[in-house]
Amino acid sequence: MKVIEPDQKTKIHLKINGKDYETEVEPRRLLVHVLRDLGFTGVHIGCDTSNCGACTIIMNGKSVKSCTVLGVEADGSEILTIEGLAKDGKLHPIQEAFWEKHALQCGYCTPGMIMESLWFLSQNPNPTEEEIREGISGNLCRCTGYQNIVEAIKEASTKMKANPK
Amino acid sequence: MYPPKLGYVIAENLEEATDFLEKHEDAKALAGGHSLIPMLKLRIIRPSYLVDIRRISNLHFISPGSDEIRIGSLSTHYEISKANIPLLSETATKIADPQVRNMGTIGGVISQLDPSADYPASLIAMDAKVKVKGKTERTVSFKDFAKDMFTPDLNPGELVTEIIVPAFKDYKFSYQKLERKAGDYAIVGVAVLLKTDGESIKDVRIGLTAVNNTAVRATEAENMLKDTRISEEIIEKASAKVMDYANPVSDIRGSAEYKKKVTKVMAKRAILEALKR
Ligand SMILES: Cc1cc2nc3c(=O)[nH]c(=O)nc-3n(C[C@H](O)[C@H](O)[C@H](O)COP(=O)(O)OP(=O)(O)OC[C@H]3O[C@@H](n4cnc5c(N)ncnc54)[C@H](O)[C@@H]3O)c2cc1C
Ligand SMILES: Cc1cc2nc3c(=O)[nH]c(=O)nc-3n(C[C@H](O)[C@H](O)[C@H](O)COP(=O)(O)OP(=O)(O)OC[C@H]3O[C@@H](n4cnc5c(N)ncnc54)[C@H](O)[C@@H]3O)c2cc1C
Ligand code: FES
Ligand code: FES
Repeated sequence: MKVIEPDQKTKIHLKINGKDYETEVEPRRLLVHVLRDLGFTGVHIGCDTSNCGACTIIMNGKSVKSCTVLGVEADGSEILTIEGLAKDGKLHPIQEAFWEKHALQCGYCTPGMIMESLWFLSQNPNPTEEEIREGISGNLCRCTGYQNIVEAIKEASTKMKANPK
Repeated sequence: MYPPKLGYVIAENLEEATDFLEKHEDAKALAGGHSLIPMLKLRIIRPSYLVDIRRISNLHFISPGSDEIRIGSLSTHYEISKANIPLLSETATKIADPQVRNMGTIGGVISQLDPSADYPASLIAMDAKVKVKGKTERTVSFKDFAKDMFTPDLNPGELVTEIIVPAFKDYKFSYQKLERKAGDYAIVGVAVLLKTDGESIKDVRIGLTAVNNTAVRATEAENMLKDTRISEEIIEKASAKVMDYANPVSDIRGSAEYKKKVTKVMAKRAILEALKR
């Protein structure tokens, strides 16, 4: 059993986008702040109340809202953020599809939307429009009206099938 | 928004967790954190320590048997949605949104006992049992466990270890939830389990959530349907009877009057949907 006192900091270890990081946190520190402080500012804070999904990341293979996870809770996890998607200067197919289908305006929701799409497509590689809408129901966009986001995810599913990794 | 200063305990096994919680009454177990962390950020609660029970692997399982299914308290809504459990798996798909379902646990839901949570409608309809462990172990019916809203039958130092539901083979089922917006808690949720034989209903169970302090079974409506030939008329009458079991309060999700009326609508939908399967 490990006990961390309220005034104490503790070391946590995270693997983020394939690289190892170690950092000291207070128990009350939220994962979203830990990630942003380590430079992963693509992880956005929209609502801070677990509703908007702008802070969505992949933790140990599943999409989660990083504003609703504590840093200490994530100790030892593997994390993927939007910064980890492009490889060798080439965008991920979901990023390409968002670009081509004009699925963003201000872009605030986009990193969370793309991370959720990544998890969703891993679960359902060939989704219908209705399934896509249910799949992104934890992500709010205040600009686009969702139509182009849905089209982009559909397009991404086709791209990813044509070119599986 | 930041949680208040708090200590953090990582328990490696159940005994460590229950011992610590018993000695520190103002400490709280942390499962999925998706009720706790929002409350901490709003400073609604200020526990001395969080006791992280997430690494206790013997709370994390789903074991299907021929008579009953045992569900470890750390099973997430996502895991339950994939487990093919009659009624309960479908209920899990209606909770919140995908990210919340990846973190939230069934043990957390029934320990939190939000009056609008989804599982309680199904658990009450299924006659679920709850296994609780502190210094000793005991098993209680979910009905008795859910004493009142936000009030589970848990003594200091006790944790929910598993939820047990009968297998309900050959039953048809449906969980119908009305929500104000995608991902929200229910305005009303109706769970129906039924067994048919040709054109007649042999057994039926109807559970309601969000329209009382705790989930209830609409027993008189069940009795109206039991051992009858399926007809539009009897379904209409039974759905109206379900409405008698709704005692909702007016809030941002609707007026009491509205909620009572939609209880009938959702009950009818749930019965018809179950019959279709
Ligand atoms: C979702 C969305 C949809 C939109 N659709 C349309 C559309 O269909 N058609 C359209 O025309 N526009 C559209 N816009 C743009 C909108 O009208 C903007 O408000 C406008 O382009 C900029 O005005 P602003 O006052 O917001 O400027 P700001 O964003 O405040 O400033 C814009 C730039 O001008 C400079 N600036 C501002 N005021 C002055 C000043 N008085 N003197 C010198 N420099 C100044 C700022 O320093 C800055 O560089 C859209 C915007 C959004 C977010
Ligand atoms: C945006 C959002 C939308 C939501 N929408 C819905 C919805 O539509 N329907 C719905 O039903 N729920 C909804 N929820 C709640 C969600 O299902 C939570 O996950 C759930 O209520 C709590 O589970 P948890 O594992 O996260 O518990 P935690 O937050 O970790 O714990 C909750 C409480 O239970 C106690 N506890 C946890 N596990 C145990 C245990 N094994 N034994 C004893 N005590 C324990 C904790 O100490 C705490 O007091 C929503 C949550 C969010 C953030
Ligand atoms: S910032 Fe996390 S859900 Fe909105
Ligand atoms: S593009 Fe602005 S919030 Fe989605």
